[in-house]
Amino acid sequence: MHTANTQEPARPHGVRRRGKPGEILIYIVLSLWAVTTIYPFLWVIMNSFKLKGLIRSDSFSVPVGDSFTLDNYKTAFDRVDIFGAYKNSLVISITVTVVVVLLAGFAAYGMARYQFRGRNILHSLIIASMMFPVFSTIIPVFRMMFGWHIVNTNSVALSQLSVILPQIAGNLSFAIVVLMGFMRGLPIDLEEAAYLEGYNVYQIFFKVIVPIAKPSFATVAIFTFLWSYNDLFTQMFFLRYKDAFTITRLLNEITSIAGVNYGLMAAAVVLVVVPVLVVYIFLQKNIIKGMTAGAIKG
Amino acid sequence: MKRVIALVLTMALSGAMLVGCQSTPAPAASQAASQAASSEAAKPVEITVVTSYGGDDGNRANYESAYKAYETATGNTVKDASGTSNEEWKSKIMADFETGAEPDVLFYFNGVDANKLVQGGKVVSIDEIRKTYPDYASNMRDDLLGASPADGKNYSVPVNGYWEGLFINKKVLKDCGVEVPGADYTWDQFLKDCETIKSKGITPIACSLQEVPHYWFEYCVFNHGTLATHTKLPASSTDEIGKVWTDGLNDIKTLYTKGYFPKNTTTATDAETFQLMADDKAAFAIDGSWKIGWFQENAKSIDDFTVTYVPGENGRKSTDIIGGLSMGYYITQKAWSDPAKQKACVDFVKAMTTDEVVSTFGATAVTALKNGTAAKSDTDSLEKAAMAMTKGATGIAPATQDGLIQTARTALFADIKNIATGKTTAEKAIDACLAIKS
Amino acid sequence: MNSTIYKKKSPLAVFLIPAFLFMALFLYYPFAMNIYNSFCNITGLGTAAVGFNSPWYLNYTKLFRDPIMNTALVNTMLLMLLTIIFQVGIALLLALLIDNIRKGTQFFRTVYFFPIVISATALGLLFNLIFLYDGGMVNQLLTKFGATDMIDWKDEIHYLFTMMTPVMWQYVGFYFVIIVTGLNNISPDIYEAAEIDGASGFKRVRYISLPLLHNVLITCLILAVTGALKVFDLPWIMMGAGMPMDKSWLTGTYMYNQTFTMGDVDYGSTIAIVIVVIGVVISQIANRIFKEKDY
Repeated sequence: MHTANTQEPARPHGVRRRGKPGEILIYIVLSLWAVTTIYPFLWVIMNSFKLKGLIRSDSFSVPVGDSFTLDNYKTAFDRVDIFGAYKNSLVISITVTVVVVLLAGFAAYGMARYQFRGRNILHSLIIASMMFPVFSTIIPVFRMMFGWHIVNTNSVALSQLSVILPQIAGNLSFAIVVLMGFMRGLPIDLEEAAYLEGYNVYQIFFKVIVPIAKPSFATVAIFTFLWSYNDLFTQMFFLRYKDAFTITRLLNEITSIAGVNYGLMAAAVVLVVVPVLVVYIFLQKNIIKGMTAGAIKG
Repeated sequence: MKRVIALVLTMALSGAMLVGCQSTPAPAASQAASQAASSEAAKPVEITVVTSYGGDDGNRANYESAYKAYETATGNTVKDASGTSNEEWKSKIMADFETGAEPDVLFYFNGVDANKLVQGGKVVSIDEIRKTYPDYASNMRDDLLGASPADGKNYSVPVNGYWEGLFINKKVLKDCGVEVPGADYTWDQFLKDCETIKSKGITPIACSLQEVPHYWFEYCVFNHGTLATHTKLPASSTDEIGKVWTDGLNDIKTLYTKGYFPKNTTTATDAETFQLMADDKAAFAIDGSWKIGWFQENAKSIDDFTVTYVPGENGRKSTDIIGGLSMGYYITQKAWSDPAKQKACVDFVKAMTTDEVVSTFGATAVTALKNGTAAKSDTDSLEKAAMAMTKGATGIAPATQDGLIQTARTALFADIKNIATGKTTAEKAIDACLAIKS
Repeated sequence: MNSTIYKKKSPLAVFLIPAFLFMALFLYYPFAMNIYNSFCNITGLGTAAVGFNSPWYLNYTKLFRDPIMNTALVNTMLLMLLTIIFQVGIALLLALLIDNIRKGTQFFRTVYFFPIVISATALGLLFNLIFLYDGGMVNQLLTKFGATDMIDWKDEIHYLFTMMTPVMWQYVGFYFVIIVTGLNNISPDIYEAAEIDGASGFKRVRYISLPLLHNVLITCLILAVTGALKVFDLPWIMMGAGMPMDKSWLTGTYMYNQTFTMGDVDYGSTIAIVIVVIGVVISQIANRIFKEKDY
């Protein structure tokens, strides 16, 4: 995820293979896989602009001329409030991401660097909680939050909170496991040097660990965001009313209205996916800048 | 490269948004109007409503315009959380009641499915409501409201009756040289027609045994019983009703072994098999009154389709149909005991069940309205056929599966594909289903 | 690890308590309820237990007699194995390859990530269109190449392929990203030093990249095992209730079905426990075999 364009010259192992048949082979293999990841999206985008019957008879053609239509998008926008849903999705997923990254960073640091009694038990607990199927925990959580009066209310903010809290908990264990893996791999020398300069552990965490582990934090943040954004089940359970609907919840709504209207379904998929792809592609560049800078100096 | 991709995606999206913006002003304006109305009215209330008119239900648009009219008229707002009626939808509604998170008004089944609500005192009886609001549901015949099997009292106000019938693709029949069946259609003739259609390389019956064998189950069982037996449940696979069920299930097996269902009937979804009807690749399908909307939306020409009686045999005349009033509007105890909401809920149910509103919901003569439904002005040929079918019915029986509790029903229908393919027997499946008590 | 910095334990509370508090409230407490529920008789999603089962371990004996549970376990184990071989394997291969090229690394990294960006729900719909019997993408292609009989991709011959391929494909990018991040954490100096010592090509991979990726690969392994046990969205949307003929059940989909469609909450809870127990045991074994190393 983090690239190394700026540091390429410093990496001699890249230069060596230039132009050799081996490198061509590598490009072929890499490109083949790239085709499998790109084509399905092109296919959906193309078919979202086609009349509904065409997807099953002639799905490979490019929609131009007669077969081109915006009807699917018209229907989607007519039936649901797409912009409101984008906003709701962003509020939920950004909050979840920020909290998860911070808390998981703390916990992973504690777990990776401290030796203490019960550490193995905590470790097993984290691993175990990654396997808890959300379906088995949702009902007690629902009851608990109902007791707190934050589910099934008319307030959009509370509805969002009722999704945010379980999602934070659900993503923490994954984030801790990944961050812990990376932090253990970091050489301890840097922290010792910082300690000798008079830093306390909190300063070490924010000024030494976080900068070095930036790529890992970025990775965790991106996954957390995506899972929160795409987690239909929790959203289905806690978001009842249309004004609190997120974009993923809305996709589900559209597809249930669509039935076998595959064109509308394709349009719905595009509407959900494209913003994330755009955000990802633009964000990636900024994240990378920060990451490489940190990595070299570190 | 990355920029190019981003650019292309952004353009695709903004193109889509542009379309959205162009087409949105109308609803926005009507929203503003209803908001203006609500600010004028005294003490507007917000009520939460759950119905089964969500998703692809044929009456979704009718329902939405009816409640919007209520909002404009009263100034109250409706928080709607409607879904599509299936077993998961039912489970979730029950869970809401059990955790105390129920809606104010609920449109739900009036059979065994609601027993827990009635027994737990979660919903208010119509008698109770009439003590304060004497004209509640006064336009309906009390004997047809759909009394609860738990205590025989009325709790819900129905909108419209449903029926189940045989949808037919007339174009396919014509191409195969098969006559469009009518009231005197027999099961034997039906089997012969299926054979003819199959020999032309077309699927006779559009049905997913994997997902929705429910309608074929109803009529196949009905064909071995009578109007009277169809309201009863078996106690075991060997008693009288049990034998009726066994014979009915074995009829499905026969249809399967003769290859009348789609080739992928055990792996297809209901949506996929129904697509065959729209594509002129299948001739027959049994489904309910709610499916009319689907045909109106998906058929190339609605005149290619019609609906008629399911062919009968033995004790059942073809004109004996399955139908009734299986759902209605409930007011929950929670909303009833909230003085702020009580009247709003009563008004809502009244508004949703007036003669005019009920008449817009689907084409059927099955109704609890004292005056009957008014004919819609712009009915298409399919709706006319449906009206004719329900008017000509010689008898009407409720769906026998509605007598089963949810878990037993789910287990039985999960086993139908196993019966058809011979992995289990009808007797075993029936006994396993009846053994489920909770 | 023996550093004096971490001898004083008081900051540990600040680091650990917030995260574990969240998990205790939203994961451990509900799951403890789940364990309790597995011994009870519960008739509805939101209802309290009617009482204990008799005998109290009823659900556990039912597990062993339930042929569908058996199918689900076998399928899940298979999925786990395939996940490790294909998802992690392909991801590792791609990551190592990309480490060897100069131009276009950005591009590949970006596009490999595409499948993860999309919700499993949307992907499920997408693959349903691809594998659709009547007019799906694959069958359209086959017809173009002259096939006369369409293939039912969800029948008893093809269902494993149809179910597993999308799951494999989707998550390759996920492990790819984790491994690439790990590779980037390896200091270029180490490679330079190796270069001087004459290590290149396969040797470099074998003696430097792989050993230094050890911890990251173990993380991947654990994520793969736990992920396979929980897989739900894609198979549920594509294969519905165990289609064809109850052959494609996985522990995740079967647990969901028991709880939410069959309403058998206590049996669903029991399956959830099986999922967690198996996951913990396997990841512990994995940890024993490939011990995590600290540097």
